Amino acid sequence: MHDNAKQNRDDPPPSPPGEGATQPNAAEAAFDLWLNRSLHQLYDGVAAEPVPPELLRLIETDRGRRGK
Amino acid sequence: MSSAFHAELVALLPRLRIQALALTRNRAAAEDLVQDAVANALAAQDSFTPGTNFAAWMHRILRNRFISTLRKQRDTTDIEDLPAGAFAVGATHEDRLVLKELGRAVNKLPVDQREALFMVVLQGMSYEDVAAATGCAVGTAKSRVFRARRQLQAWLMGEDRAGEAARPDAAQPEKRRPSSSHLVEEARDA
Repeated sequence: MHDNAKQNRDDPPPSPPGEGATQPNAAEAAFDLWLNRSLHQLYDGVAAEPVPPELLRLIETDRGRRGK
Repeated sequence: MSSAFHAELVALLPRLRIQALALTRNRAAAEDLVQDAVANALAAQDSFTPGTNFAAWMHRILRNRFISTLRKQRDTTDIEDLPAGAFAVGATHEDRLVLKELGRAVNKLPVDQREALFMVVLQGMSYEDVAAATGCAVGTAKSRVFRARRQLQAWLMGEDRAGEAARPDAAQPEKRRPSSSHLVEEARDA
């Protein structure tokens, strides 16, 4: 699911494309590429944060209770 | 089945956090939403059919929990957060400014567009899975992602094609609503 995530985290965030793209479709494609990479820059760190211990405890407690 | 259920749930937590952030735009609220959704899922796990789409089932629980919370807290203060990535120490000052601007623009998107965009771009979900998780047609899921991209392009590049792109769905023309209120209306109409 995160095939691009590592690459995106390692790359510096590029500036939004603009001058180079002259055709609408090319401009949209270039923007979409930049957007995908920048969204990973912005939010991959959120997904990578550790799960709160109390949440894991909640799940583990339920697993233990049901396993009995 | 119980052990597999719990393992799948733990593995899905990072994605649920992203979906919760897409819905709430606030880190603390997102953490609360994930916790509540997990509690709901544990209580309802016997209703899950093994072998079916667990991620879609779980995303729906989180979404419904969000809608339910919205109903109760319509008038609470809406505090938006920018993700920590907007403050990355490795980036140049100019890059950080661009990322902050993007973060603010993403927060301005209609909630269903932001949710679909995050699911596709950040979670790598297919349009079919987005549709299953959000209870819409596949074409609507595609439309939401397309409109989110074009709206962000319009805002960030100064191209004012915004009016068209901001509409929540191509198939269901309606005025743009900046809040999440139409999710509540969707749920009520369902």
